[in-house]
Amino acid sequence: MAIIEIRSVSKTFKKEFSGRKVEALRALDLFISEGEVFGFLGPNGAGKSTTIKLLLNFIRPSSGSIMIEGKDPSDKNVRRSIGYLPENPYFYDHLSAEELLRFGGGSCNLDDAVIRERSSTLLQDLDLVDARKRPLRSYSKGMVQRAGIALALIHDPKILILDEPMSGLDPMGRKKVFDLILRLKANGKTVFFSSHILNDIERLCDRAAILINGSLRRLINVNADLKNGATLEDEFFEEVKKSGGLRE
Amino acid sequence: MRSRVLFGIFIMALLAFSFTVTLTNLFMRDITRVAASLSLTTLSFSGLLMVLFIGTNLISKDIDKRTIYMVISRPISRTEYVVGKFIGLCLLIILAVLFLGCISSIPVYISGMTYDNPLAGFKWGVYFAAIIMIAMKLMLVASLIMFFSAITSTSFISLILTVATYIVGSTIEVAKGLMDVKMEGVEISPFMGALIQAVYFVFPNLSLFDLKIQAVHGIALSAGYLFWICIYWLFYTGIMITGGALIMERREFP
Repeated sequence: MAIIEIRSVSKTFKKEFSGRKVEALRALDLFISEGEVFGFLGPNGAGKSTTIKLLLNFIRPSSGSIMIEGKDPSDKNVRRSIGYLPENPYFYDHLSAEELLRFGGGSCNLDDAVIRERSSTLLQDLDLVDARKRPLRSYSKGMVQRAGIALALIHDPKILILDEPMSGLDPMGRKKVFDLILRLKANGKTVFFSSHILNDIERLCDRAAILINGSLRRLINVNADLKNGATLEDEFFEEVKKSGGLRE
Repeated sequence: MRSRVLFGIFIMALLAFSFTVTLTNLFMRDITRVAASLSLTTLSFSGLLMVLFIGTNLISKDIDKRTIYMVISRPISRTEYVVGKFIGLCLLIILAVLFLGCISSIPVYISGMTYDNPLAGFKWGVYFAAIIMIAMKLMLVASLIMFFSAITSTSFISLILTVATYIVGSTIEVAKGLMDVKMEGVEISPFMGALIQAVYFVFPNLSLFDLKIQAVHGIALSAGYLFWICIYWLFYTGIMITGGALIMERREFP
């Protein structure tokens, strides 16, 4: 059984002043199995972040249905199993990384001792130990991104939804996040992440979906479909070409 | 005291309290009453500024800056989010009113002790009841802010709506009173009468929480009167918070 089920989901937004309708997603079907690392690919405006916001119940489908572990995303308890990293993490910037993780753990009803132990491990893994007491406003973009990853992981969720986890990271930071996703995969976590870095998706994912103009263009089984020197990059550009380019 | 706004409002209130002592010396009689009136006005005004500036930024800023994603991506319902923000703001109001309320009694006491037996007829119990009512009024205003923040997307609009409601809520009792007193030669059109009646029922009657006159003149308050004000407060605040939470539950954050 799929841990994430997206059935025929469409999402239409209405522009605030003109009232014009914009179709961000069209009849998207995706089924992600437990323990799978799933990459979500697509040019800007393809509907990747919209899909992720639907999974987290920030927005609701115009039609179709979404189930996570067999429950509707509007059920707050679903989010106990989810760790989320937004594309550009915005936090209360007067908090320190330590306070942020205390909030994250507390919101999932974790014991103080567990929060302390997990915070310490995560801050160590993500190279934030020295900065743990500093307010987030003094962090660089990469450090904020790593603090966001720590927040996503503090409650040891079964599912990780990461929107552009590598964005803003320097090569060392990227390596750390890359290794972390590998470790999560080895621990049987389900990772759903969007990225523009095709090479990362190719190296990390079991499957990848190519989304263009709100429609699913192709589902690729990375090990089975990419043979004889074919790369995800080739497949991606071919799909973009086939789709006739990007919609305005 | 991370907020500079809060710090500024506190300093302004403290300066106003110290000025009260000087100002009361300009009056020849009823010095304690003047001091009590000025102190309660200062407390109410600085509390209102605090609630407006801190409160309107609580939810709207979260939406503007997208920090709301950090909260609602956790196992926290939108209702818990609204109620949590409201409780946080109420705790701030209670602490601030407690602190400023205690300080406000100093100029009243000093002014009273300056002359012979000037505290006669003044009841500290009523004075502190008036302070509690100011706190309740501010918490009701906080619930209005939560409601307006849920229906609008910018802090400025929720600020404008709250201020407008505050003004209407503080004056509607007077307008209704004028309408009820039949004056010779003054005709109120049926439409205007119905409008004032409707506004009276829809908007919060904030003048109920203004016990300045009773505090200044030491007029005893009946337990029944205070009980019904508390029931009114519970009812109105409950409706605002429930409404705000329901709207937030349905709202989308693209």
